[in-house]
Amino acid sequence: MSLHHITLTINGAVERATVPANLTLLQLLRETLALTGTKNGCAAGECGACTVLLALPGAERGEPVNSCMVLAVECDGAAVVTVEGLAHDHQLDPVQQALLEAGGVQCGFCTPGVLISARALLDRNPRPSEAEIREALVGNLCRCTGYLRIIAGIQAAAQLGAPAGPAA
Amino acid sequence: MVTAHPGLPEFDYVKPASLAEASRFLAEHAGAARAFMGGTDIFVRLRDGAWQAQYLVDVKHLEGMQALSFDPAAGLTIGAAVNLNRINAAPSVREHYPVLAEAAGTVASYQLRTRATLAGNVCNASPAGDTLAACLVLAGQVSVHGLAGPRQVALKDFFRGPGKTALQPGDVVTALRFPLPPAGYAAKYLKLGRNTLGDLAIVGVAALGYREAAAAAGLRFRVGLASVAPTPLLLEPAALSAGPVDEAALTAAAEAVAAAAAPIDDVRGSAEYRRLMVRNLARQALTEVWRKIAA
Amino acid sequence: MLKTHPTPARGPVGESVARLDGQEKVTGAAQFADDIQFGPGLLHARILRSPHAHALIKRIDASRALALPGVRAVVTGEQTPGYIGLYLQDRHIFCRDRVRYIGDPVAGVAAVDEQTAEKALDLIEVEYEPLPAVFDPVAGTRPDAPLLHPDLGQYEAVNFIFPKPNTNISNHFKIRRGDVAGAWAQCAAVVEREYRVPHIQHVPIEPHVAVAKWDEKGKITLWASSQSPFAQRNLIAKALHISQSQIQVVAPYVGGGFGAKAGVSMEALAVVIAGAVKGRPVKLRLTREEEFFTTFVRQGLVARFKLGCDTEGRLLALENTYYWDAGAYTEYGVNMTRAGGYSGTGPYDVPNVSVDSICVYTNHPVGGPMRGFGMPELHAGLEQAMDDLARSIQLDPVEFRRRNCIRGGDTVATGMTMHPTGLPDCIEQAAAAINWGHKAPPSAPTKRRGKGFAIMWKAPAMPPNAGSSARVQFNEDATVTVSVGGQEIGQGTFTVMAQMAAAALGVPYEWVKVAGPVDTDYSPYEWQTVASRLTWSMGNAVKAAALDARRQVLEMVAQAWKENPDDLDIVNGQVISYKTEEARSLKDIVIYGLPNPDGDGWIGGPVLGRGSFMPTYVTGLDAETGQGPRAVVHYTTGAQAVEVEVDLETGKVEVLRGVAAFDVGKAINPEMVKAQMEGGLVQGISTAFFEGLKLKDGRVQNPSFVDYRIATAADAPPQVEAIIVEVAQDDGPWGARGIGEHSMVPTLPAIANAIYDAVGIRMDAPPFSAEKVFMAMRQAGVVQ
Ligand SMILES: Cc1cc2nc3c(=O)[nH]c(=O)nc-3n(C[C@H](O)[C@H](O)[C@H](O)COP(=O)(O)OP(=O)(O)OC[C@H]3O[C@@H](n4cnc5c(N)ncnc54)[C@H](O)[C@@H]3O)c2cc1C
Ligand code: FES
Ligand code: FES
Repeated sequence: MSLHHITLTINGAVERATVPANLTLLQLLRETLALTGTKNGCAAGECGACTVLLALPGAERGEPVNSCMVLAVECDGAAVVTVEGLAHDHQLDPVQQALLEAGGVQCGFCTPGVLISARALLDRNPRPSEAEIREALVGNLCRCTGYLRIIAGIQAAAQLGAPAGPAA
Repeated sequence: MVTAHPGLPEFDYVKPASLAEASRFLAEHAGAARAFMGGTDIFVRLRDGAWQAQYLVDVKHLEGMQALSFDPAAGLTIGAAVNLNRINAAPSVREHYPVLAEAAGTVASYQLRTRATLAGNVCNASPAGDTLAACLVLAGQVSVHGLAGPRQVALKDFFRGPGKTALQPGDVVTALRFPLPPAGYAAKYLKLGRNTLGDLAIVGVAALGYREAAAAAGLRFRVGLASVAPTPLLLEPAALSAGPVDEAALTAAAEAVAAAAAPIDDVRGSAEYRRLMVRNLARQALTEVWRKIAA
Repeated sequence: MLKTHPTPARGPVGESVARLDGQEKVTGAAQFADDIQFGPGLLHARILRSPHAHALIKRIDASRALALPGVRAVVTGEQTPGYIGLYLQDRHIFCRDRVRYIGDPVAGVAAVDEQTAEKALDLIEVEYEPLPAVFDPVAGTRPDAPLLHPDLGQYEAVNFIFPKPNTNISNHFKIRRGDVAGAWAQCAAVVEREYRVPHIQHVPIEPHVAVAKWDEKGKITLWASSQSPFAQRNLIAKALHISQSQIQVVAPYVGGGFGAKAGVSMEALAVVIAGAVKGRPVKLRLTREEEFFTTFVRQGLVARFKLGCDTEGRLLALENTYYWDAGAYTEYGVNMTRAGGYSGTGPYDVPNVSVDSICVYTNHPVGGPMRGFGMPELHAGLEQAMDDLARSIQLDPVEFRRRNCIRGGDTVATGMTMHPTGLPDCIEQAAAAINWGHKAPPSAPTKRRGKGFAIMWKAPAMPPNAGSSARVQFNEDATVTVSVGGQEIGQGTFTVMAQMAAAALGVPYEWVKVAGPVDTDYSPYEWQTVASRLTWSMGNAVKAAALDARRQVLEMVAQAWKENPDDLDIVNGQVISYKTEEARSLKDIVIYGLPNPDGDGWIGGPVLGRGSFMPTYVTGLDAETGQGPRAVVHYTTGAQAVEVEVDLETGKVEVLRGVAAFDVGKAINPEMVKAQMEGGLVQGISTAFFEGLKLKDGRVQNPSFVDYRIATAADAPPQVEAIIVEVAQDDGPWGARGIGEHSMVPTLPAIANAIYDAVGIRMDAPPFSAEKVFMAMRQAGVVQ
């Protein structure tokens, strides 16, 4: 199997790694770099627990991807933001704050992916309708909350406005 | 029994420097190498052992692959590596080919569509592929780079069976092209999944209609179907070109479309239900299109 | 009749304080079992599983697997002679002579990575002799059915479970009350129905994971995503014939449980595999696909109902038979069938009752506990049959429930006297909130609207002596550490425990933390995090521990101040005297004590409160009649109502509105109670429309999210209203009882009743997929 040297930034920090071709971005984060905030719920693109923001070289901003469905080698030169990178200077991102306040967190396993999808939605559409919020969350399965408080949290986050620090 | 493994099997990742190199490599390793875009089909099948590949050939960076352009004279060109979210959001697509934006937006979830591509959906040739019916009614063409260089294949000749296409060893799809649609046309994609959003299609129906003086009724319609036959189907309902278009003709057309479908039973739905849904959704989509173009 | 309580509710009990675990969960810092780092010494395990639904194992040869570079060990049933099980020990950790479902663990491999372990599985040769199988619970009870557990008569069982040797029936619970046969003649209307409920998966978003390690002295550590660290320690120790103290279970946050991570499912596999590579930690992580059919599933059910009422709609008789499709092993499922038996009338007052609840072995995935523990299954059909009965005498279904629902003081079918319950109030409030009796026009001519109603009850199902214990200790700064063995699985139990400790002690909520992860070496004993019992049972223990600590503080201060403890109080972290108005911060007291007022030296010392709770008042029930003074500790009751719209073009049903009203006794944290009600309702919607294992000859056809769909954000109804009713529970802390499971119990039948109201069709089994609804409408002539 081919091995590849890659350089990428993760939550603003430059990381170098030698990765086998079949290593997914999710495995790179969780297993190689021990950045375990991003979760593995299916490894098949279905549950969204592994969602991170990925900005490939040349991209203006990160877009959410299922990190279990991206090869690490494809991320050479990319910038990745995980749930650990949402808060800045101990200041929670508005989506983190709002989700907490709305009671949109129960077991917390879907939460990292939900937060990334929410951040990405608000980045591309700062005032989403409820229908747009629901649509943006279709790829984030949550078994605990029934989604309603997650949706309410994102609506509240939209009111709070842009986050404090740079996203990617 | 297909068993999903925890990770991807071993393979080499290959990133050719040119289309020519890509075609050569793929031809030399026919059966062992696969081109890929988003990988959203490939990774799943490799993981569950349904497919084997010694080489995954990444062609997303090659020339023209990332381009999305609209030419008012020639139509729309979508580079093979353009992801479905970009297609869904592109102003030119929304304005001139809204049915394509609509269909692209029904695939999976937003984060999956950041990776998944139209070319991948087309090359994968799953009968359930959500964009295929829309691409067919829009008379799409596939731009292919093969060992002998570039060529065009009409989409209506592209699909050969579930997962089977007209592609030959060494072929790389570089773009999908859509001619200018007929003036004043309207189109609609209706998808029925188990969930409200995000599921694979039990049935997908695209309808397109436009005015044409030469047609007996003054109107022409095309219907594309997903998930109800071994390949996506493109039909021109006779009931709508022969005489005046009214509710009865639309119903008859929908019945004819349903009769043309050859669905199967699977875990997502029975053949019988699928046929009934082709009828109902085709009637809905055709009626909506008819109202628009007749207005 | 409301009982008053010795400790008045005071802040923060009854307040919707912020979750204790919220901050770490939104920053990605919260640790789940798969997040724990073990370094490069970690080995990875994979499991070879039976491809047969029922077969004898004739031969296993692992020599080629063992020879594969990177493989460290292969284990089989040879290493696991002991039996394991919670209520009935009917299972080996690895199969020995026989496999009983597709997915049954046959061998385990430990290797340097998952991929190598997987390759090794392919190299293990197993010779099977396939046997005829049982795929239907009713067929499984017939005398000529293939026998799945010939040794059933020898299995060890708790004394309230009654296996029938030489059959496939591992438990048969009966209620015989009144004169059922005689009552039918007096009935103005009788309804007979059969409903089926498919196997449902819990689908926690976090798959099962367990890491085990043996040290050279034989001490075992198990890190697992677990609802039941203590039960796992106990059951695994028993199966391995070792002492409980030899096993330490460490259980961090659980990424959703719903029962799937109760008892022991896959954790023992990791332990046994690790035993073959002593000194090395071994991780076993299930794939999502394995998750669907190799852990517990909700048992399937074939339910037969016969109900009768008089002209006034008063229920006179009920004769129900439940055949549980309990799967290959019923070690846990036997008690679900018992619970389904003693609660088998649903929340109704019926004078003449016959219930048979029969637990049947089948060659299906292993049935186990899942949110509601038998109640969603039996209410699914029962609440539809009740609607039918009401309609058959032209009685409004809500009015029918008003007349028949169980009330405080009624005698329930097992002979127990019902405690005060707010069920009648739940019915009124839910009916009012959904605007019962008024039909709004549909949103399109091709749609039809309907409303549906259902009520429920559920008692914590557990052994009569399931206990809880807690420790409350102060730190130097007077902050408080609460130690418990119950698990935070998302329901918010740590938050609620902190609220209770703060209230009982008299300190601000912010001063209290709950020690985690739960660790059987350090945490006090807790039976299991199941049965919606923690707020009540563990809450009683925490409250007792906090009051114990409070007593110690007050006695110390009383001595120091030469006052009577009754004149002292702790308010907002300060000890105050109502007599002298003296006040002193707890910081000065709780660790170092106070100077002796009568001379040299000190009094007091570190304050450490202890509390434990066990219900001692539950009695056994007669094996033939199911009668006894107190079958259960109590029942939580509630009602739900939904409004749906059915699309005549596709059969798709949309829930427009959901209302839930439950009597929780006392809402310790009202917003979290409401969050449970909402989450449960949406899980109920998910089950109703999408879920079910598709089994064909024992093989699950849909073991992935692609084809086992659950509700997404786009499927949740636009509106859910959660209504809290509070009729205090006499044995609950501040009057509280559980709500976690209950919230999904009535949803499915409420939806079914609403579909009936909309288009007049009944289906005999969920899920109510668009296809099923459309085809039923077509058959009924509603659509073409
Ligand atoms: C969770 C999940 C949900 C999904 N839901 C849907 C859905 O709702 N509707 C739907 O239609 N699909 C769905 N899919 C399938 C898949 O996402 C789509 O088919 C997608 O469009 C494939 O695009 P891709 O770029 O990822 O293809 P890839 O996986 O990269 O490739 C797909 C196939 O095309 C071939 N190929 C790709 N690019 C080229 C090229 N340039 N030249 C020649 N051959 C090529 C590959 O060899 C492969 O055989 C889903 C998949 C997942 C994992
Ligand atoms: S882990 Fe489920 S989508 Fe990636
Ligand atoms: S909070 Fe548990 S899965 Fe969403």
